[in-house]
Amino acid sequence: MNHHDMNQVGDDNIPHFDDEAREREWLAQERAMRCERLHLDCASDDARVQRYRMLARALRKAPQKSLPADFAQRIAAQATSAPAGNVITDTRFEFILIAAIGIMLVVAVVAVITLYGDAWLPSINAMLPAPSAVASRWLLAFAGCVGLSWLLAQWQSLARERPLA
Amino acid sequence: MDEIRSNPDRELVDAVLAKRPGAFERLIREYQGLCWHIIYRMVRHPEDARDLCQDTFLRVHQCLHQYRYESALKSWIGRVAYTIALRHLQHKRIALVDNTDDNEDYALVENISDDFDLESACADEETAQHLHAAIEALPPLQRTLLTLYYLEEITIPEIARITGLASGTIKSHLFRSRLRLRGVLENRTGVAV
Repeated sequence: MNHHDMNQVGDDNIPHFDDEAREREWLAQERAMRCERLHLDCASDDARVQRYRMLARALRKAPQKSLPADFAQRIAAQATSAPAGNVITDTRFEFILIAAIGIMLVVAVVAVITLYGDAWLPSINAMLPAPSAVASRWLLAFAGCVGLSWLLAQWQSLARERPLA
Repeated sequence: MDEIRSNPDRELVDAVLAKRPGAFERLIREYQGLCWHIIYRMVRHPEDARDLCQDTFLRVHQCLHQYRYESALKSWIGRVAYTIALRHLQHKRIALVDNTDDNEDYALVENISDDFDLESACADEETAQHLHAAIEALPPLQRTLLTLYYLEEITIPEIARITGLASGTIKSHLFRSRLRLRGVLENRTGVAV
């Protein structure tokens, strides 16, 4: 048997077995489970249901081994004592990963420009309007300021996180 | 609105997220039995099961803000426990199900002897031990599904949410494992199949 021979759908979207004998067997299993759960009288049960009831009794017994009595207290103390640690470790790892990818990207761009720039940079330069030397200097200074501010912000956020780690 | 306010899952989750003293310990006490039954039935090794239960609740604490009340908290925590136990079994290369011939079990469907006395069979300690050994010998998934269905009294659709399996697949596993265990009883009580 597999679920391919269960096509009809019953309550709670549980499909029925196509084979009548199997569906009867399933219903006997279910009846035995319900009777055992509700502690109903078993005098009228047939031999099949009686066997499944014995099975149900065995399955309803909890395993002998269990968790230690102080499990909840110990794990709660462990979880609540350093909750920020993992989060910060994760965040830092994420930041390092992003920074590494960013550096790799910059290195790749520089390498591409160095290797193949001679072929296409002159044509791009020809398309752009020629900026004056003064404007170029101000543009470079602006880009430098933006870069420096970004680096400073990153450094400050790392410094804020460090004492908690 | 009142229903949402009085939802015990929501109250407990809100208390844990608000870091109220004792709230997370209460959550663990509420669901440690479920996690133990899932994980212990899956891995069967008590020490490993304890470690995995610990991992489960640390994971629950870390990810509780992601719980969206789309299923009962019990199912959500059960799913975390099941996933952690499943990864452990995969790591140890332990098969979740076996590939025995289905027809062998199905031969039992139409074969049943009439002489069976439930009370005397239950009183027979040896038969009970034999049955427990047969339950222990079932593959991890079937053992776990039976435990969730009988001991935790969880419905098949809820078990589907915990395990990620289709309801039909769960029904099939339950049917096969119960049939196989009945076979153990038949052999024990001396019935030719």
